[in-house]
Amino acid sequence: MAQIELKNVQKFFGPVQVIKDMDLTINDGEFVVMLGQSGCGKTTTLRAIAGLETVTSGEIFIDGVAVHEKKAADRDIAFVFQSFSLYPHMNVYENIAFPLRAVGMSNAERDKAVKEVAEILQITALLDRRPSALAGGDMQRVAIGRALVRRPKALLMDEPIGALDAKLREEMRSEIKRLHISRGSTSVYVTHDQIEAMSLADRIVIMHDGLLQQIGAPDEVYLKPANLFVAEFVGSPVMNVADVVLAASGGQIQVRLGHGDAGFHFPAGLTNHLKETGADIALGIRPEAVSLQHDAKDGYIPVETTNIEPLGSHDIVDIKLGDISLRARTESGFVSGEGQQVWVNIDPAQAHFFDRSSGLALRGQS
Amino acid sequence: MAGIRTRREVFFNRAAIAGVMVALFIMLVPIYWITSTAFKPRNLATTIPPTVLFTPEISPFVKLFTKRSQLRDPVAQEIYDAAPWWEQMVFDGGQKVVRSNKGVVRRSGYGQRFLNSLIIAITSTFLAVSMGTLTAYGFSRFKVKGEDDWMFFILSTRMLPPVVVAIPMFLMYRLVGLHDTHIGLIILYTAFNLSFSVWLMKGFIDEIPREYEEAALVDGYTRMQAFFKVVLPEAMTGIAATAVFCFITAWNEYAFALIMTNRKAQTAPPFIPSQIGSGLPDWTVIAAGTFLFLLPVAIFTFLLRNHLLRGMSFGAIRK
Repeated sequence: MAQIELKNVQKFFGPVQVIKDMDLTINDGEFVVMLGQSGCGKTTTLRAIAGLETVTSGEIFIDGVAVHEKKAADRDIAFVFQSFSLYPHMNVYENIAFPLRAVGMSNAERDKAVKEVAEILQITALLDRRPSALAGGDMQRVAIGRALVRRPKALLMDEPIGALDAKLREEMRSEIKRLHISRGSTSVYVTHDQIEAMSLADRIVIMHDGLLQQIGAPDEVYLKPANLFVAEFVGSPVMNVADVVLAASGGQIQVRLGHGDAGFHFPAGLTNHLKETGADIALGIRPEAVSLQHDAKDGYIPVETTNIEPLGSHDIVDIKLGDISLRARTESGFVSGEGQQVWVNIDPAQAHFFDRSSGLALRGQS
Repeated sequence: MAGIRTRREVFFNRAAIAGVMVALFIMLVPIYWITSTAFKPRNLATTIPPTVLFTPEISPFVKLFTKRSQLRDPVAQEIYDAAPWWEQMVFDGGQKVVRSNKGVVRRSGYGQRFLNSLIIAITSTFLAVSMGTLTAYGFSRFKVKGEDDWMFFILSTRMLPPVVVAIPMFLMYRLVGLHDTHIGLIILYTAFNLSFSVWLMKGFIDEIPREYEEAALVDGYTRMQAFFKVVLPEAMTGIAATAVFCFITAWNEYAFALIMTNRKAQTAPPFIPSQIGSGLPDWTVIAAGTFLFLLPVAIFTFLLRNHLLRGMSFGAIRK
């Protein structure tokens, strides 16, 4: 197992820059998930680490050794593809044994290694089947088995469970996590699914347009998004973002949304740092930090509900506040229908402020 | 597919089967004609209306593989007795009686011509398919400067009917000493088939996901190893289809074989009509030669049928 280091990596496809100034260190034994929309450069980054893509400039180190000019075969890493890419003309056993044949291992050793991996992944019964006779989940187990059998320095996975259906995805997700914990392999995992990212990662790397947006533990990314992109990308349902106007009123600050006169009261300490920035300010607030009440209460603003999404464990309620719409998370059945009058407030401790023009988060000292 | 079919579907299904049977019958008539003529006695080959029921005999094949010359004197009984059965058959026309007007028997050129055909067709097919596959792989997987122009150039070599350049080709071949040589025809047929092979194989290789090779590359194989261990087995379908087409073209080629060869490297197609001879044409011998000539293509196609069934539906290969 090994540490992977990217230093100032740039990648152009023709005139298009798909990786911009990438600096990233993945520690030994760490599970890093690269998260972003399609086309953000995450897969290209992964392929560059694997050696399937050359980099235009910059350096890549695996275990302190510069590899960016080495062939994929000489980097000693394994890659799991979204399409599984099991060789159709070989059976499962041969597929798993294929990487071992490249290194010229003895037959007995190879046999032992294949059977051991098959045991761990519970695919022993499938060893003499052809890939075409496998179910999706088993195909992915075989693909992971093929990657692990050689005991590579690092395991790279490109949306490995993206092609499976929802239930199987959940199952494989916990299996990948279990495998990672038991094997402790340095893993880089690419996905556009934030739930996968949150549940698997030690650290999440969020990318957008070839640029790193934020690197951090899942809760850090969720609770302290570095910018508007991360704030809106991570979390489901997405964070409410609205332009705000700050107005002082008797020792407290009023945060006004939707061009209305009514505003939420924030303790002055939380908004002090906003005064210096002359920029337009946007407020980000997650639906679970928006609370609704049936009756009027101090600090609450009367609003009307516009839409309700019952999700079983909870409801997502849309409310109209001035000329904007906010989404709130309530217990299920809290609001009976559209057009109902409720009172709304937000939790100042869970509010995020962003500079509208740069998108960067505006945080106080606390 | 539902188990229950409507009346309408049943009707169309039966109509389709009937249509296929009619087409099959029409297509098989020439095959039947050649095959039956190849086993007919000479006097029944040209009757009108055609003779359908006859006692088959192999004398046309014997005549095909032998060369007979007239003798002034009848064959002596002891020579007749000492001769193997096929020569006896030529001496007496299958009558078991020594006749006076028969001749000496030597081997005809057909066996050698047939062998030439096999050598030339198989070698040129192998060359065209292997070079075509490698070229197609290069075009499919790597960025080639002016790829479209190159591909068009390769295709354009087929735009001129080859016979148009037969005379200059003949003169060039004579100049460099390739006239009437195996290697000469092999080069020629390989060149004919190469562009076709490149285009066909490119289609097939484009269909093979790159991830297969990438997986092999990451797993410690070189590009060449990945090509042989992963791409080639996956491309077998396409290779089989391309090989059948190339083999048929090289096997059936007539015009250049006629012009470029006369003896040593002559293939079967120009030889068969030369057996018509100077006297009354013996169609049974022609039919026998043609019948044998049809077999290799049939066998070759039969052996590769499993690959072809998938291969003909270009690009329908998916895991």
